[in-house]
Amino acid sequence: MLLPKFDFLRPTSIAETCEILDEYGESASLLAGGTDVLVNLKRNLIAPTHLVGIDRITELDEVRTTKGEIQIGSLATATALAENRTLKRRLTILARAAGGLGSPMIRNRATVGGNLVTARPAADLIPPLMVLDATVHLADSTGTREMPVDRFVTGPGETRIKTNEVLTHVSVPRCEPGTGGVYIKFGARHSCEISIVSVAAFVTLTPAGRRIKEAKIALGAVAPKPIRCPRAEELLAGAAPGKKAFTKAGQAAARASKPITDHRGSARYRRQMVDVLTRRALVAACQAAREDLAGRAR
Amino acid sequence: MKKLQIFIRVNGEDHELLVAPNRTLTDVLREELDLTGTKHGCDEGECGSCTVLLDGDPVNSCLVLAAQADGRDITTIEGVANGSDLHPVQRAFVDQGAVQCGFCTPGMVLTAKALLDKKKRPTEHEIRAAVSGNLCRCTGYQKIVDAVQAASRGKTGAGR
Repeated sequence: MLLPKFDFLRPTSIAETCEILDEYGESASLLAGGTDVLVNLKRNLIAPTHLVGIDRITELDEVRTTKGEIQIGSLATATALAENRTLKRRLTILARAAGGLGSPMIRNRATVGGNLVTARPAADLIPPLMVLDATVHLADSTGTREMPVDRFVTGPGETRIKTNEVLTHVSVPRCEPGTGGVYIKFGARHSCEISIVSVAAFVTLTPAGRRIKEAKIALGAVAPKPIRCPRAEELLAGAAPGKKAFTKAGQAAARASKPITDHRGSARYRRQMVDVLTRRALVAACQAAREDLAGRAR
Repeated sequence: MKKLQIFIRVNGEDHELLVAPNRTLTDVLREELDLTGTKHGCDEGECGSCTVLLDGDPVNSCLVLAAQADGRDITTIEGVANGSDLHPVQRAFVDQGAVQCGFCTPGMVLTAKALLDKKKRPTEHEIRAAVSGNLCRCTGYQKIVDAVQAASRGKTGAGR
């Protein structure tokens, strides 16, 4: 497959990137890892006159820990997320999800920013970022703005980013003690897989570990965009972690899903899997939260 | 479409090239540098037959613009052997019968080499995970995994 014709620009800073975007607007496309953009170009799904290679802008490449939050530069690759020591320990759910994205070679190029802006319904990093309450940070030539991940993604391949904006980083608030998060990617194979269903569950237990203080659930591949499940989350808040609460939550999550039937699975099958996988994710997330409490008590 | 000047180091040799922006790294390696060991497969990053090492890490060269490789160090399958002396991974592939049609082999060898460069004694699971982006439609993978394991244990016929 041949790539169509385009000019290639390589800015070295965010400011320079914004200037280029101001000039070319919609006819320009940002290029980071290229695992989606180059495929879409080859398939003639997009036809920018200019590709703006941002993959060497070092200010977009940093993972930083501040007092209250962890900031992840948009150019951080899936491999970087999966192997970063801080993320493995503090944002385990995100690091593990990144470690299961695509294939090893894709992970060496695909970036967190790319996963967010391409906004596929089955995007592997979005459900974990949703349950972690992540914030997306955008910049243009006049300034910056931010919004929750859930608000940023609006539909399949659709987000609130404007044609003159760059996604600079995502920030995740520091987790309190007694938290555990699990991401289940469910597909027909282990590698190069687009999920049939994915579930992210994030649980905070009370200090004694007897009750669920707060639970967050996000689903992938079962709606036009990854979705949260507010009803299931309400049912879990204050409940004792166990079969009864998890069964109710699984059913509520299944009701919240709006899957379609396609070659990867029928809508009915997907909805049933949401139920099953939500329960499994909650069991594992509560276990991780208990281990977190035990680890901190030691 | 303005051509771009790039500097790349391929298998230890420096090249200064003038490339069209829409050429992928696969295109330039094969057509400009005659390094045809890098295969054109699916062209969409699914099959891994175009695998090269970019600064030591395996990537799908069909999804990297040549212009993006500017200033980077690239290893292709042609740069793995030392003259006529095969790399231990290559030797093991021959010894274990891990090559059938051979189309996936350059990518497999490079991915395995990158793994062993990072981890001397990977587990079977780690080997399978490492080559999970390199599709082989002949061997069923077992002999490939055996070969990588043999290479990691130094059990290759060449005695190195």
